Amino acid sequence: MIPPRLTSTRQPLRQLQDRVATGLITAGGLGVLLAILAIGVFLVWETLPLLAMGDTLALAKLSPLAWGTLKAALAALLFAVPVALGAAIYSAMFMSPRLRSRIKPALEMMEAIPGVVVGFIAGLILAPWVERHLASALVLIVWLPLSAALAGLLWQWAQTRLRGRLSFSWAGLWLVPWLVLMVAIALWLAPWIEQQWLGGDLRQLLDQRFGVDYATRNAMIVGIAMGFAVIPSIYSLADDALADVPSSLLEGAQALGASRWQALWKVALKAAGPGVFSAVMIGAGRAVGETMIVLMASGNTALFSVSPFEGMRSMAAAIAIELPEASPGGQTYHLLILAALVLFIFTFLVNTLAEVVRQRLRRRYHQMEGTS
Amino acid sequence: MTPVSASFRRFHWLNGLWPWLCAASVALSLLMLGALLSLLLVRGLGHFWPATLEEVTLRSGDTFAGHVVREVSLPQQAGDERLYFTGNRDIEGVRWRWVAIDEITERAQPVDLIRLERSPWGDFIGRLVALEQPDQRWEGNAAWQRLTALLALPANQRQDSQLLLTTADGQTVRQPLANVVSAQAPNAMSWWQKTVAWSEGVWLFLSEGPRAANTSGGVWPAIFGTVLMVILMSVIVTPFGVLAAIYLNEIAHQGRLTHVVRVGVRNLAGVPSIVYGVFGLGVFVYGIGGSLDTWFFSDTLPSPTFGTGGLLWASLTLALLTLPVVIVATEEGLARIPDDQREGAVALGATRLEMLTRIVLPTAAPAMLTGVILAVARAAGEVAPLMLVGVAKLAPQMPLDGEFPYLHLERKFMHLGYHLFDTAFHGEDVQAAIPLVYATALLLVLIVLGLNLTAIFLRHYLRRQRGNEC
Repeated sequence: MIPPRLTSTRQPLRQLQDRVATGLITAGGLGVLLAILAIGVFLVWETLPLLAMGDTLALAKLSPLAWGTLKAALAALLFAVPVALGAAIYSAMFMSPRLRSRIKPALEMMEAIPGVVVGFIAGLILAPWVERHLASALVLIVWLPLSAALAGLLWQWAQTRLRGRLSFSWAGLWLVPWLVLMVAIALWLAPWIEQQWLGGDLRQLLDQRFGVDYATRNAMIVGIAMGFAVIPSIYSLADDALADVPSSLLEGAQALGASRWQALWKVALKAAGPGVFSAVMIGAGRAVGETMIVLMASGNTALFSVSPFEGMRSMAAAIAIELPEASPGGQTYHLLILAALVLFIFTFLVNTLAEVVRQRLRRRYHQMEGTS
Repeated sequence: MTPVSASFRRFHWLNGLWPWLCAASVALSLLMLGALLSLLLVRGLGHFWPATLEEVTLRSGDTFAGHVVREVSLPQQAGDERLYFTGNRDIEGVRWRWVAIDEITERAQPVDLIRLERSPWGDFIGRLVALEQPDQRWEGNAAWQRLTALLALPANQRQDSQLLLTTADGQTVRQPLANVVSAQAPNAMSWWQKTVAWSEGVWLFLSEGPRAANTSGGVWPAIFGTVLMVILMSVIVTPFGVLAAIYLNEIAHQGRLTHVVRVGVRNLAGVPSIVYGVFGLGVFVYGIGGSLDTWFFSDTLPSPTFGTGGLLWASLTLALLTLPVVIVATEEGLARIPDDQREGAVALGATRLEMLTRIVLPTAAPAMLTGVILAVARAAGEVAPLMLVGVAKLAPQMPLDGEFPYLHLERKFMHLGYHLFDTAFHGEDVQAAIPLVYATALLLVLIVLGLNLTAIFLRHYLRRQRGNEC
């Protein structure tokens, strides 16, 4: 909002103050924006010498890092996307509003947990445990979704009285003890399963039968740890997108005879699709740039392998470790800055895409609500 | 909306299971969050609880004393093995002992077992026989009482005392009292005494510097460094962030360009922190710092003053990193102020400056505060960029001291997050460091979550207040 110029010239001091302040704010604001712009300019400027050096070594050195980054991000998304989207669908569509207003901030709190803490837990606690109990970990991964389905079956067969007490709109909360119970059962049964079906020692079996090397800190661990860090950002955005779907759409679908789930699957998810997509994109951006978790939970070995049981080294981790030791102006220095540039451009593009998609979606909802 | 259960009954039972998977995702996320937090709480705080010491006799006749750390199953065979912390590195050469449980014939918890924390060589676990001074000698219970009395004195006043100790397997050791930091007889302690010892342990952890290659002692320098860095950062980021937000929202022409800039600023919040670290290293440290060195500190030159990572560069880098957070939060606050308030002020003859300082800024102040708190929370947990621009695993000097100019911007500093990373991954005895790493992680999480909660409540409270006004 721009106030009109004062017409009276009786108070030149006030006017001067105003002019000076406006000028200062403009200068400060533009300065900040320029400083932000300077990041991109600096990164591009420092990678230019690499072109002048003109050797193809750069690509060969960077490609395992790029592969490691992609592998880590994929592993994280593989774990985070189903869990985060499931959680978003449930909390936007089924959860009681009172519970949702508590659970959502709690899950968003997960995002605030520093990466270095998650990395420590994953690298020093989870990784050795999984190495010793590989079979149990794999059994858990299969068993947990099954046990959720089992809870659903039991609930459908249960008496109406029990259903009234344990309503589905609070299931997100009371399923927690159920899952704890199921984890306990799985851990208790896993050694037996390993004896019966997997010949006693799964890691030996993997090594001898399939020639799979098992590294303590591997892509699976990184996937779980970084997935944990990425879940809240995907969840929060996807939940917003789904909750903003005009309720008239869902009511219409249900009035035509669709079940709640069908209305959700065929109508709400289609309508909110772009928002969900942008949530996943933002999650991908975070997974690609996360440094400490990959550094601490991966073996930090630059390998080309697709095996989920082998380590990797990502671009961000390589920068954090090698850049302080690289001499400024040297080839490694410029190479690492190129890696930073790639990260910068990638995350910036992904985030911009997500933002544009989200704004378009918001406009669409606005129109829908206007016409209905 | 129809009740959920009514619509389920009519459809195929498999279809009805999908919502359960979704509900389980929420439960799983909560479970993971809860598991992480309770693991940190239990292990981080449990470390300070005086552990019961055991005297263990093996089938081979071997005897040793220590406390149980954990149990795992034996590799390649049935049965479990147990890890004991035995201390006495100067006598036995190792501090840990794995024992198969089948090998143990007797476990006892004698009350006379004591645990000494010493400054070289770490812990001693064994029995106290006597306390000797050149002219006097105490034995048994009197020795223990004399020892606790002497330990309350400063280290230089107990130079001439010596302890006569025996280990569980009967070796006798002489230990100068000057090297002993503290003494405990945990088996003889009551619940209340243990609680007191526990709170003392927590306090020492928060108030002391690290000892013995970060495997014991506290994290005070790291807390101090983190707080100082964060304060400097907020001093830098607040005015600039607010200026940029006011410019974008109040002064700039609201056209396409401003819209693009706004989206760009918002997206910068998603750029990986390590990229900011690279920028800080290249521009602040090598660029500006290098020039400063050649202009002002050329006499010390091959060793850099500002041309290496330091407090100032770290704060600047993190300020840049958190700038988008402050800008976005302030802009949200500014956008929520109704235009009629601005128009009213202008209609009454205020200039733009007066409108901003008397109407807009006071109303938007809480939003700015929220933004700064969020920025501080983000900066406190960030480690990756700091590894490039000035964090140190062990800073010899505090960045703030009594020497002119008091605040040493060029010094390296310690940071909680980096301290955690370094102790956990580069320590020489990781096993011994892990309890302290847990405690550090807990402290870091508590700080960051506390800051975030403050921001959330502040925002919530203000929204409600604003809602009443309108």
